Amino acid sequence: MKSLLFKNRSMVALWLILAITFVITGIVDSYFFSIPSIGITLQLAAPLGLLAAAQTIVMLTGGIDLSLAMIATGAAYIVSVKSNEGLSTALLYALLFCIVIGAVNGIAIGLFGVNPLIMTLSMGAILIGVFTVGVSTFLRGSSRMPDILVTLSSGLIIDPITWPLVIWIIVGGLVHLSLTRTGFGRVIYSIGDNAKAARLAGIKVWHVQVAAYISCAILGGFAGIMLGGQSGAVAISLANSYLLPSVAAVVIGGTSIMGGMGSYSGSVMGALILSVLSYLLATLNSSEAFKQLVYGGIVLALAWVYSSISERK
Amino acid sequence: MNYLLEIRELAKSYGSVIALRNANFSVLPGEIHALMGANGAGKSTLVKILTGVIEGDTGEITVNGAEVRFSSPDNARKNGVAPVFQDPALIPDLSVRRNLNLTNTDLKKFEQNLERLGIKVNLEELVSRIELPILRMIDLARALAHDPQLLILDEITAALPANLAEVVIRVMNEEKSRGNSVIFISHRLSEIGEICDRVTVLRDGIDVDVFKTTDGDEDRIVSAMLGSKITKSKSHVKSGSNNVRPILQAISINDGQKLRDISFSLNKGEVLGVVALEGQGQDSLFEILAGERKALSGEILFNNDQVKFSHPNDAIKRGISYVPGDRKTALLPQRSIRENLALTKFRQLRSWNWINQKVEDEMVDNAVTKLEIDTRASSQVKRLSGGNQQKVTIGRWITTGFELLLCFDPTRGIDVGTKNQIYQLLSSLSSQGKSVLLFTSELREIELVCDRAIVLYDGKIFGEFDAAKCDEELLLNAAHGRTS
Amino acid sequence: MRISIREQMWNIAILGLVVVLTFWRGNQLPIFGSYEIKTILLGIVPIALLAMGQSLIIIGGGINLAIGAEAILINCITAKYSEGTSFITSLKWAIIGILIAALIGATTGWIISKSGIADIVVTLATSFVLIGLALFVQPGPGGGVNIDFAQTFSGKGDSFIAPLLVLFLPILLIWLPLQRSRIGISFYAIGSSKDAAFLSGVNVSRTRILLYAFGGIFAGLCGVALTAITQAASPFAVISNTATLNSVAAAVLGGVSLAGGVGGLFGPALASLVLYYIPTIMLGYGIDPAYSQIIQGALTVLVVLIGGLLRARNKR
Repeated sequence: MKSLLFKNRSMVALWLILAITFVITGIVDSYFFSIPSIGITLQLAAPLGLLAAAQTIVMLTGGIDLSLAMIATGAAYIVSVKSNEGLSTALLYALLFCIVIGAVNGIAIGLFGVNPLIMTLSMGAILIGVFTVGVSTFLRGSSRMPDILVTLSSGLIIDPITWPLVIWIIVGGLVHLSLTRTGFGRVIYSIGDNAKAARLAGIKVWHVQVAAYISCAILGGFAGIMLGGQSGAVAISLANSYLLPSVAAVVIGGTSIMGGMGSYSGSVMGALILSVLSYLLATLNSSEAFKQLVYGGIVLALAWVYSSISERK
Repeated sequence: MNYLLEIRELAKSYGSVIALRNANFSVLPGEIHALMGANGAGKSTLVKILTGVIEGDTGEITVNGAEVRFSSPDNARKNGVAPVFQDPALIPDLSVRRNLNLTNTDLKKFEQNLERLGIKVNLEELVSRIELPILRMIDLARALAHDPQLLILDEITAALPANLAEVVIRVMNEEKSRGNSVIFISHRLSEIGEICDRVTVLRDGIDVDVFKTTDGDEDRIVSAMLGSKITKSKSHVKSGSNNVRPILQAISINDGQKLRDISFSLNKGEVLGVVALEGQGQDSLFEILAGERKALSGEILFNNDQVKFSHPNDAIKRGISYVPGDRKTALLPQRSIRENLALTKFRQLRSWNWINQKVEDEMVDNAVTKLEIDTRASSQVKRLSGGNQQKVTIGRWITTGFELLLCFDPTRGIDVGTKNQIYQLLSSLSSQGKSVLLFTSELREIELVCDRAIVLYDGKIFGEFDAAKCDEELLLNAAHGRTS
Repeated sequence: MRISIREQMWNIAILGLVVVLTFWRGNQLPIFGSYEIKTILLGIVPIALLAMGQSLIIIGGGINLAIGAEAILINCITAKYSEGTSFITSLKWAIIGILIAALIGATTGWIISKSGIADIVVTLATSFVLIGLALFVQPGPGGGVNIDFAQTFSGKGDSFIAPLLVLFLPILLIWLPLQRSRIGISFYAIGSSKDAAFLSGVNVSRTRILLYAFGGIFAGLCGVALTAITQAASPFAVISNTATLNSVAAAVLGGVSLAGGVGGLFGPALASLVLYYIPTIMLGYGIDPAYSQIIQGALTVLVVLIGGLLRARNKR
């Protein structure tokens, strides 16, 4: 038993941190321990969990996607605007959008060697521009999300289980399984760990990069639609405040930004910890200032811990 | 005797690999002292510790009687010990002048020494624009500008055209007549006798012979490098192969760097050894055959078809597998043995779906048992010993299947037991009709495992030998360009 | 001090572009006099300073995703404490602000060296912390500064001499001496090849700390400039993120290689002019500024792409 605990010590540590944060929050606000409020916390954590899944995939390859917020917002926008043409059509357009943006990112990064930071940062800026213009031109239309999506994004089944939680579990589960049980997952880890070795084994590294950024974009689209559903309407800034937390959740969860090491389960824990923390900070009426300080401090502290652990190995 | 430099009982290990074991080395003032040894004997480790690039584990170094421990090559330079490394220690994106500013080199003295070397350099030129031989001379001039008592030249003549090499030799003699000393590391046996006063030979991390060049000659050096008894062990592990059909033909391969005109053929079911000193382009040759690098000119015929590879996958599809010399290049360090063994299966898009765990388990267990890899398949590969790591690399290809295995120095830094296992493996592959191209820095392996051997020297194939008829001495001489 | 041919060519190209765009802009406006020039300069001073700081760090082989946040923090500190004070006090706080920025930079460099964490992650985390601190100091827009002090920076009336000086003095007083000095050369060295730098006697850790400290000085200058120009504090995360992005874009457009060791500060300063002109000119035609953002983003990617391809071809 002891060796089992030791082997998974990073997960154990994460559970511990989550538990401590959970308890502290409950002490500060006893209402937190109630089923409904846990339900809400999980509901609000779901989009972050999906965004973290997206980031996990690209960070495992040694990259990052800083255009994720705009991809998410963009997908939500497209769905709301095109919803008058029917739900499935709207969703299809959004999917197409995600695939195209992901492919552009992946090709620039994988085939042309553009630095992922620069590429995705620029793509984010481009998308802000496109959608700002679009809102008044080709994307003119309703910014309201169709009702069914609103339900799926925030509807209650039985406390504390909400639709978004269920969707997160399903999609997250698929992501986890792909990463651990499929060839796709293997190649993702391999190009992040040692791209040269992967290439020598015959793997076309840029193919994997493209696939990674497309998957990331699709998951981002999912998250964006969920966020749109939760707020009812879509605005350009919809997913902005989720971008850096999506990276933070992955870093907290133990995935190295250099790639090749980590897991989605860690990122899930990271997303949960950040969500509970959000609740705590909101309850303490803490200022935006304090919240930012805590976020930054935690990411730094945990990254440092992980870095020194892996150095000792 | 008052030694200029004394190194006593220097030891250094990298994990389980011992690079230096209690090596001793000393240099008198006013002498040119050759430091010799085969690949991996410990020469570069010794120099790195001496010049402060890395720290030794134990041992002491004294210069002029005082114990020293240099923190960096710059520190060494300031204390009269100036190294000139094989890779010039110059910043590529800076100009020569700025590089000199960085090391606080007196510009006047530098230019004086450049003149001494007969070289003209525009100080404002970017280092990345200057070709390697001139960079070496710049590095040398810089070292000289610090008025060193001890100059360390690591393979400096290797990349120099004959005229520049002569200049260097002249300068070394000038330094000697001033009472300074030079540690001269080179593979060119012929130079040693002419230039140097004394020779120290390292083998397996320790000094095995020290003598005045008047007391011994090249043969003495070679036998010291190999070991006192030249192994004529008839422990032939390999089984003979009589099939003379060529599976691979290299025709006039030129890679634009070290390889100029490489032509040879490899027969089906044969184990062909490649022998070469460091830096003869052998790594480039293997990379070209593996599809990792493109040749500038020349042809490759595989099974009588001309092939052009643009990606390792092209070679793998044809049945050519590559085991690189650097295990860091071949393996995924943070991933498990299982993942490393199965890696190449996923180069095909259609295998990106669900992994059949049972099939994979079988495959992995098979490989682990067959190769006697002695740790659990789930552990991280970077934790394994060098020998086991090598087995994983080879194991990956055995499960995939191949016609030709390119093996680059597979037994370097590996324990004896595993070495033998690998020899057995290679032999059994050949009896199964598979072909192997094997580069090794351990010459006795040629006799043990190979059918034939080719020697790579000066950009060409210098000689071709029947493995049964050649011994280490013959091979080592040939590698140095000597026909004995 | 001769700079490399490549850098010279790049600077000339950017300068050419700047001249063309200046004429274009000049044509757009009914009048193009001293006041208009002053407006342009005031528009670019903050971003140019940030671009210079970021470029320095990238040259040294690093990157600072928190540079915008650093500037905002200094903006908030100086604006809060300079409100309604004398010229001397405002000046004093400006100097303190710059010193704080240098200290923050040095700390960042120290964390990166000591912890071994990638600079992207460290500066991502510090960007949170610094915005948090900024909000702590100044929870919302507010603050102010001594009028005389502000005008010393932004120029009295129509005069554009002051902002011009603010733009060029840092280059003259900080960058040019730095470039020749041993420290400056060490920055290039660690950016170009950490190993060769070590072999050449450079203390890599210490140099990195100084690198981020100097980058911080530029961020501090930007913060002070913001205070002087806007005469207020603007603790918004959005501004800091956009500013950081723009600083990287300007660096790349200004000829600084993301691989490190290549480029200067002059090019990025000019490039920030280009990045300023694009939206301004387009706005002059009544085109939605969003389009200019698209163009800026695409331009950055294109430049990095071409730069990468050129470098790959040179290596062969």
